[in-house]
This record gives sequence, structure tokens and C-alpha cells, in this order.
Amino acid sequence: GGADVLPAPQNLSIHSTNMKHVLTWTPVIVPGERIHYSVEYQGEYESLYLSHVWIPSHWCSPTEGPMCDVTDDITTTVWYNLRVRATLGLQTSDWSILEHGFNRNSTILTPPKIEVTKDGFYLVIELEDLGPQFEFHVTYWKSEPDAQAHIKVVKSGNIPVHLETMEPGVKYCAKAQTFVKAIERCSAFSQAECIEVQGDALPL
Amino acid sequence: RCPSSMDMNPVKQSFQEIKDAVQVNDTFKNVTILSNLHSVKVLSPLDTCCMTRKLLEFYVKRVFKYREELSLHISRGVSSISNSFLTLQRTVQPCKEKSLCPCSEAATNATRTINNNYDQLEVGSAAIKSLGELGVFIAWIDKNYHQETSTA
Repeated sequence: GGADVLPAPQNLSIHSTNMKHVLTWTPVIVPGERIHYSVEYQGEYESLYLSHVWIPSHWCSPTEGPMCDVTDDITTTVWYNLRVRATLGLQTSDWSILEHGFNRNSTILTPPKIEVTKDGFYLVIELEDLGPQFEFHVTYWKSEPDAQAHIKVVKSGNIPVHLETMEPGVKYCAKAQTFVKAIERCSAFSQAECIEVQGDALPL
Repeated sequence: RCPSSMDMNPVKQSFQEIKDAVQVNDTFKNVTILSNLHSVKVLSPLDTCCMTRKLLEFYVKRVFKYREELSLHISRGVSSISNSFLTLQRTVQPCKEKSLCPCSEAATNATRTINNNYDQLEVGSAAIKSLGELGVFIAWIDKNYHQETSTA
């Protein structure tokens, strides 16, 4: 009934992959009622100098939950506190605070998806678009003993990039890793992909 | 030079998003706080370090603490900028610890003037004006950390 205290959300946790940060919690269940939630955050500055100041999340104040994309709230590489409360009409629960805080430098960086193709005699790579914070370090080489590997920095995904001109009959390979300047970290390399131009002579 | 570089891009981006909204709230158009920054004759890289440290501290300890009467949009931007300033302070802190950031009289006077200008106004107006003048500080950092390295 109305007099009962609305329980606070439990089991807050944050999952961050490729600089996309999602806060989740166990939903509050009141039979026959629709519960909403409010999410708020404070950065290290606020917790150091303005500990009473909490800022409503961009997308989740309110939300039907029980999850919230806080990527647009976590805009710097410092520690953040996050809290959630449930609301039912005029009734609000206590706040639940994420236990250890969150710093985006802990995000999981996955190897990027790549596609290696050829455009005539050009070795071409296309990379997964992961957003403006990501650049790619592409390594490519001739699949021959003692062949030297070359490195190319690609500033954004989703655009075919010409790597080099291929000799006919020779296999060429490429792989890539992501780099996020904001947290100064790289992902692991993707699997290498190889391709070959059939043995026609080079055009004059 | 210490620090060797200052990544202002996160600050620039956040400031761009709130600049107009902040400057509209500045009711003392004929007064400035950071006005003298560009006229200061900084004699050495050490002066630059000292002024950088003191200006970061000015914003962190005085300006960004003011959050009253700010819209949610501006509050979010100020939060982002203030947290970026914490990161910038951590860039400068080692320089101070290695005594690479002493303050000459010129640098000390320049930052004292800025603090005095701030004290002339009521705290809310001073904070709003200083927020609106972040572009002056950003330009000063670019001039002292980026333009020289690119032409060196």
C-alpha cells in the first residue's frame, strides 16, 4: 500500500565496453504498479569540492529502467559516483549508490572488426565504426619471409582505406587495434586477414 | 618545458557547448576578469608553468564551486570542465614537485590581478563572468603550449 516505504534499487553495477557505459540494477517490484527511476552522477570534482552536488543523468532522470546508458554523463577520465532511486507517483525510495565508483579508463576495449578487400591492385581495409573517441592502428604486410610490416593510423571507421598497391600473385595481410586517446589505451589486435591478387602482370 | 603539453580538447568541447548560454547570463559586459592575461609579458617557460598552475587553481578553487542558479545544461558542462581541470592539475603537479614551476614576480602579479578582479564582483556574477572568459584561458594555453611547439 501507499504507506509502505518504496524499497531502494539493489545490485547496482556498471558495464563498460568500447567507451559505452551502462549502469544496471535490480528492478523494484510493486505488484500492479509501474516504477520509474532517477539516475544521478557526480565527478571527482564534485565529490572533492561539492559533495552535496549530484547531477541528473542525461537520459535517465526519469527512466523506466532497470538500466541507464551513462556514456554522455561520464565525459572525463576521473572517478565518478552514480546513484539511483525508485519513484512511484510522489513516493521516492532512498538513493542507492554504486559501490566503488567508476572511471572510464577501465572500459573493455575489444579488437575491432575488420574487412580486408582489394580495389583493383589496391589492398583495402574497412574498420568498424566505434565513434569519435576511437582511432585505429592498422598493421599490414606482404605474407613473405622477412617481409617488413607497415603501420598506418586511421582516424575513423566505416571508410575504406587504401593501404598499398599489391603485386600480383603475392598474398598480403592486415590486422588492426583500436586506440582511445582519452584514456591512453589500446585494444588487442584483431585477427589478421589476408588477400591476394591473381597472377596477372601489373598494368603499364 | 614542464608540463610539456596540455590537452585542452575536452575543455574546448565542453566549453563550446555552454559558452553562449553562460555569456548571456553575464550582466557586467564592460568588466573583464582575465583581461590582462594576454598582455602579460611572460619571460620564461617557468613563468608559464606557474601561471598555468595558478589559473587552474583559480578556476578549481573559486569559479567551478559556484553552481547555484545554473541551468542543468550549464551545470553538466561545468561539471565536465571542472573534472577535466582536475586532470590538467595532475599534469602540472609533478612540475611543482620537481621545483620546475617557481613563480616570478611578474607571474605572481598577473594572477593576483585576476583574483582581485574576481573579488570586485559579487560571487555569482564573478563566477559566471569567469566561466564565460574560459575562452581567454584556453587561447592563452594554446599560445603558450601549442603554437610554440608547432613553430619550434
